[in-house]
Amino acid sequence: MSAQDQVPATAQETRRVRVHRFKRDDGPAHVDEHEVPVGARTTVLEALRWIQLHDDATLALRHSCFHASCGTCGVRVNGRERLACVTPLADVGSGTVTVEPIANLPVLNDLVVDMTPFVDRFPEAHAIVRDSEFLPEADVPEDLGRFMRFEDCIECGLCLSACPVSATDDSYVGPAALAFAQRMLEEDPGTVDRDALLDWADQDNAAWRCHAAFECTEACPSNVRPAQRIMALRKDLRRRRRDQGRTVPEIASEDGA
Amino acid sequence: MSERRTEDQASGGVEEILRARSAEGPVERKAPGPTAWFDIRRRGTGHFAFSLNRITGLGLVFYLYLHLAVLSQLLGGEASWNGFLETATTPLFLGLDVLLVFGLLAHGLNGLRVALIGSGFVPNRQKALFYTLMTFGAILLIYSAIHVFTAEG
Amino acid sequence: MQAPAQDPRVTTGEPTRSRTWRWTAVTGVALLLLVTIHMVAHHFVVEAVGGLRTYQHVLDYIANPVIFVLESIFLVVVTIHAMLGLRSVLFDFGLSDRHKQLVSKGLVALGVVTVAYGFVLIGVLASRA
Repeated sequence: MSAQDQVPATAQETRRVRVHRFKRDDGPAHVDEHEVPVGARTTVLEALRWIQLHDDATLALRHSCFHASCGTCGVRVNGRERLACVTPLADVGSGTVTVEPIANLPVLNDLVVDMTPFVDRFPEAHAIVRDSEFLPEADVPEDLGRFMRFEDCIECGLCLSACPVSATDDSYVGPAALAFAQRMLEEDPGTVDRDALLDWADQDNAAWRCHAAFECTEACPSNVRPAQRIMALRKDLRRRRRDQGRTVPEIASEDGA
Repeated sequence: MSERRTEDQASGGVEEILRARSAEGPVERKAPGPTAWFDIRRRGTGHFAFSLNRITGLGLVFYLYLHLAVLSQLLGGEASWNGFLETATTPLFLGLDVLLVFGLLAHGLNGLRVALIGSGFVPNRQKALFYTLMTFGAILLIYSAIHVFTAEG
Repeated sequence: MQAPAQDPRVTTGEPTRSRTWRWTAVTGVALLLLVTIHMVAHHFVVEAVGGLRTYQHVLDYIANPVIFVLESIFLVVVTIHAMLGLRSVLFDFGLSDRHKQLVSKGLVALGVVTVAYGFVLIGVLASRA
């Protein structure tokens, strides 16, 4: 799909779009304004691409799939976290639209953030990677049902951007990492060290740092509901503490001590 | 003109990112800081509840020590306490009393919400719980305000 | 089966956040009841402007053993909750481990001083009645 196709030829009106601009070797950030021709269904991403192609070729932004599946195009539109590819400008009122990069991550360039600190927050537990069962030569496990999972999180970083605790302090692991941990425990694919994962979650800056603002759930475009998962993780932690409390006397009595 | 730009732009996005990674100079970090929880512009109910809880909590800690200081007037005997009572019954002071009740209700009722939600109970009802509890709190506040201002000596 | 070398329930060093969150929640819920009792007993049953007692009334009130015990419990619980809350706010300043320990110790000290002063206050007043 070329850029010219993205803006309707019959576009009558324009919208003022203010875009955060920042180049590392070029001084402090500033805001540029553009009058972008829009149609009834023009998305934020289409508007940004129009700016890139017709107004200012130096605008840097990320996008890929155009359908909220890859999580690449996360930005803040008028202060709220959105995926640019599926956010119609019509949904953002009728006045000026301000587009900024997502918060709480280092900004490399205009709307592009460094996702490395986001990924680094995740615990070590890995889901298993296997051959697709649709390939003729696939080595498919017998109990395939256990290995099927419906992956919600697209790792877009909108939750981290929306979280007030993450805005306050970088050491909080954040909603995405905690939601991932809880999902590993829930799915229990048999390849995860549950105790190690719960130990990771039971830290100063993990499950107990959340202040129940629920901004992550509000921002999530993919039905992960990180806040609810964090609360479920707390339930798991409490259950484990209760079980550990019962285990020790049993071990002691078996030993004859 | 636009065709030429389109050609240039075919790999422009990736080049920009690669250039940014190797560029000298600081990266920018948006919205950092220990008071970021304070900024509720364009944020949701849950964030507002969290900020309200913190502000009222800090206010109540301040009040705790103010209250202990005020009660110390009792140590000075009847005359000292009566002096305080005169100030304490002025409309401004009674207004501050109502503010105190607001702080207690907001912090207490929202705290109940945080305790319930944070323990894993009814996590899908956090907004409804907030509005219900605050409505209940508002009714109590109105009743308290009326009582504070109309109680007769 | 060998017994574990160390009781896994024993923690070393700084308590994890899980205990502080739990204690903040528990004291908070207890305070819902205690604050209500305190406010009603002090300000909503006295026939006076602002519901405030005169000097002698205060002394008679605090000398009542039931009231004395309730106010003592209230004092301890509210101070614990306040210190834990302050700790939560201060820890969000991204402190180093050393500073976190200092803050924790400082708040414990402040809490002890607060409770001690409160007990002195109500003790002296009760003895005057």
